[in-house]
Amino acid sequence: MTDPSRPTVSVSDLRKTFYDESRGEVHAVDGVTFDCFPGEVFGLLGANGAGKTTTLRMLSTILKPTGGSATVMGHDIAQEPEAVRKSLGFYSASTALYPRLTARETIDFFTRINGFPKELVDARVADLVDRFGISEYENGRVDKLSSGMKQKVSIARTVAHDPPVLIFDEPTVGLDVMNALEMVKVVRELKAEGKTILYSSHIMSEVEKLCDRIGILHRGRLLALGTLGQLRDATGRHYLEDVFLDYVKVAEGIAGDAEIGPMGELEGGKVEGAPIP
Amino acid sequence: MHWSQVSILYRRELRSALRERTIVVNGILIPIFMYPIMLWAMFTGMTFVQGINEGFVSRVAVETPPAAVHSALLDSLRARDDVELLGLAQGGAGESDGAPGASESPGADWLQALAEGDIDATVSFRPLNGDALPENFAVDVQYDRAEERSRRAEFRIRDIVSDYRTDWLASEAESRELNEADRTVFAVKVENVSTSEDIGQLLLSQMLSFFLVVMVALGCFIPSIDTTAGERERSTWETLMTVSASRASIVTAKYLYVATLGIVAGLLNVVAMMVSMGAVVRPLLAGTNDAITFTIPWLAAPVMLAGAIALALLFSAAMMILAAFARSFKDGQAMITPVYWLVFIPILLGNQTDVNLSLGSALIPIGNVTMMIRDAISGVFLWQWIAVTLLFTLTLVALLLLLARQILTFEDFLMGAFDGSFWRFAKEKLFA
Repeated sequence: MTDPSRPTVSVSDLRKTFYDESRGEVHAVDGVTFDCFPGEVFGLLGANGAGKTTTLRMLSTILKPTGGSATVMGHDIAQEPEAVRKSLGFYSASTALYPRLTARETIDFFTRINGFPKELVDARVADLVDRFGISEYENGRVDKLSSGMKQKVSIARTVAHDPPVLIFDEPTVGLDVMNALEMVKVVRELKAEGKTILYSSHIMSEVEKLCDRIGILHRGRLLALGTLGQLRDATGRHYLEDVFLDYVKVAEGIAGDAEIGPMGELEGGKVEGAPIP
Repeated sequence: MHWSQVSILYRRELRSALRERTIVVNGILIPIFMYPIMLWAMFTGMTFVQGINEGFVSRVAVETPPAAVHSALLDSLRARDDVELLGLAQGGAGESDGAPGASESPGADWLQALAEGDIDATVSFRPLNGDALPENFAVDVQYDRAEERSRRAEFRIRDIVSDYRTDWLASEAESRELNEADRTVFAVKVENVSTSEDIGQLLLSQMLSFFLVVMVALGCFIPSIDTTAGERERSTWETLMTVSASRASIVTAKYLYVATLGIVAGLLNVVAMMVSMGAVVRPLLAGTNDAITFTIPWLAAPVMLAGAIALALLFSAAMMILAAFARSFKDGQAMITPVYWLVFIPILLGNQTDVNLSLGSALIPIGNVTMMIRDAISGVFLWQWIAVTLLFTLTLVALLLLLARQILTFEDFLMGAFDGSFWRFAKEKLFA
């Protein structure tokens, strides 16, 4: 059983720099620090290109950090990438399924390859097929399934090996309303099971509904971190969208003398009414 | 690297591949069915065309008939069902029948008829007026080499005249009391001492060594693209990067899968060709004078297997390295196809030369294995050079795998950078 007071994900001064021919060095992630705990949905909120996906890719060991460190379930992402990946499930719009496998074969494959105990695999697959309502098309090839069906199989394969940490990177991109609601429902269920969930999105309403704590990322830097209530208090704004915009304006230097304090509070200037570039 | 994970990944690759039509067709169906169908169609077609050609009656215009003393030659020509003589009176030698050839300048008319395809050849008998053989003559034949019918007419005329000359010389020699030894000068007698097995092995060694190598390459071609560029195109690459298996396990599984399909394609091809030779070619040749027995030495089987495995490992590594940079299946095809065609050069080098495997030839990539297989099928086993060939090929494989390992350390590669081009990667990272 995971100790709820100990972070399952610990990120410290994490950095990632890419080299781009036209732009030179690009600091995609620039000194990000945060912790996540069991049973928590941690939201990473940011515009496109803010560094959300890069951060999550580093945590899932797809990318190597340029600086800083991070652990997942105590495993260092740079030193123990396989152990890290075994401890987490990664879901994003860019992680597709194998089109020529059936739904059941897909879940079976991801359960086995992620090191789930062999003798329990069949029972686990049956459980997931049942839980996500896949039984009707479990023997259908993935490329013949509807997008809603594929989404269910995708979620099932993400949680197949029962990892304590789950990463959902923009999971509702491209989904219709019903499928997006289904995704939100699943994330809530997983949270209730005590999973740590890192949830990135640029859709404010989703983050508001789902996340226990929110980190606002902008140009690779974590501008603010706190619960929705704390962020509201810090900015004096009610809606997350306004909160987000205030932080961005300050970061861009278009909000007068306002500054972001050490606890994410906005100080020394009035943000409201600042021009949006 | 965990072999249990390699096994899971490998089985997943195979299962996916066997559900992909292109892979099944290229890797399994073509090797099995191509040769029986191809050989049957080839022999049937050849027999059919031969039958048609032999059925043609050659239309031969006699511009100048032979002297009366050689009337037997005309009779021989007339006696042939497959030759029709034109421009000749029924009376025979020395007379014309007033057909086109009987005009004032008959040669020009016949030549035009020949050019227009109305006749197949013209023939003129011209006296040579020698002292020793006063009745000797020359035969001038005009034909159109670009036309099969015309070539056949020329062949038939030459055949008839040759037979007549032999008989006439024999009778002249007899009248001058010359025996055969006196009248035959610098005779060449040719005798083929090879057995039907030898001929069969020669054919098999050239065909099998060529097609085995080509088919191993073809067997690796589509799977190497499908498992690399195909993964990127289907967006399953990132999914795979998030599983707990190590990168080494993932790449090893993919590599073994591509090599397996290469070996399977190659060996299926050999079996299919052997069966085709026995079941299709032998019965078709049974009715001809070409007695050929298709057998290969038992020892050739392990040599062929070793060659197929070594080549599959080589082709898989090379093709996967190239295709891994491509962003789509189409890009992967474009990147590998030129290399695939380049492979034919060493194959032909190894297949068509008469030299046996040696230290020098054992160091020619691909060509050495082709030569090794060709020699083995012919019953030639130069074990020391076979060992060098296999060692050299496996050394190349090791070098390619080291390169692959180095490439995997580049994150940009994993994320699909370098414009999908291996050459750009080589320029920027390897030779910078």
